[in-house]
Amino acid sequence: MSGKRTDTDDSTEPRTDDISEPEGSEARRAVRTDGGSDTRSDGGIVPQDDQAPTWSERKQRTQGLSRLTYEYFERSRREDEDLRRASDYVERDVLAFPTWPHEMIRNLAITSFFIGAMFFLAAAVPPHLPGPANANSTPAVILPDWYLYWSFGLLKLTPLNPELALLGGEKLVSDRVYGVVANLVVVSIIAMVPFLNKGAARRPVEEPGWAALGVGGVVFAFTIAALAVKNLIAATFPIGNHELFDVTFLLPLVAAFLAYAVLKTMREGYMFELNRRYFRLRPPK
Amino acid sequence: MADEFAKGFAILTGGGMVWMTISAWLTTESFEGTQLIARPPEDPGTYAQFALLLRDVTTWFVIFGVFAFWIGIPVFRELRAYLEDDAGAR
Repeated sequence: MSGKRTDTDDSTEPRTDDISEPEGSEARRAVRTDGGSDTRSDGGIVPQDDQAPTWSERKQRTQGLSRLTYEYFERSRREDEDLRRASDYVERDVLAFPTWPHEMIRNLAITSFFIGAMFFLAAAVPPHLPGPANANSTPAVILPDWYLYWSFGLLKLTPLNPELALLGGEKLVSDRVYGVVANLVVVSIIAMVPFLNKGAARRPVEEPGWAALGVGGVVFAFTIAALAVKNLIAATFPIGNHELFDVTFLLPLVAAFLAYAVLKTMREGYMFELNRRYFRLRPPK
Repeated sequence: MADEFAKGFAILTGGGMVWMTISAWLTTESFEGTQLIARPPEDPGTYAQFALLLRDVTTWFVIFGVFAFWIGIPVFRELRAYLEDDAGAR
């Protein structure tokens, strides 16, 4: 046993059944499930592995669905541990496959597949090679690469830069500086997220609020990228620049609201499924 | 469930690669013009005709394969599980 377990553990945890009293070889033989022979005289106690959560981790999960999920997990883990303690089960020595040949063969197969796909595409569909760029003429459309459209879109927040009456209708900062500051704000918010929520939830239904925030952020990344190419959008779709600007900020809110509503609605069904599976697995006595 | 997703995904990517290759050969005007979905050539030779046929085949293979593995089979299984649960409850 590791030092994590205390005496209070035994009193608070629900006893599963009579296998918790492993003293006496008859009880041990009754629960032995691994087919091994009763050779060890010390009961074959296997220490709790380091996968088990610490007590501080346990106390953090105190409420709601995460608590329920956690209780199920903890009870099944406890039952496994009791079974192990009661039997002469010995953990295997081999914890992983060797690098050669097992892992290497698999990796070589995957690598060969992707290299083959690249060769095939490079040979069958060769990329277009345009003529050399003319350094003396500016192209009609100047854009960064597509993955930087969101940042480029944040430079086009001119309507959000307030004209202050205090300054006689002047703007506090120029639109260009305002756009750069907007980039800093967005990046700062993204950098803060890991400190606000460490992400204990395994599924979106467990944390609908944070999941909705994520959905809103993803949708905003797309809409702000669309704002960056608003001239192309206006040429392709029947939407004006003002409407596009409004949609850029409204659509993320709508998407976040919808995601929150859907996930909140799914919670009950999820808890029902969890309960049903659990009690089918371990019927109440 | 994950197996069904992988099968549908393999059909989508494998069939899509064949479709994309033939489309790049035969139904692409130019880099600046319409790509992949332009009109096929007026008088294709025998090989081009066969390739265009293969393009149609892969199109429907991808559509039906993805529909079957991502929608059809899961829906069928959900329905069957639902009906079996219903029968078990009664």
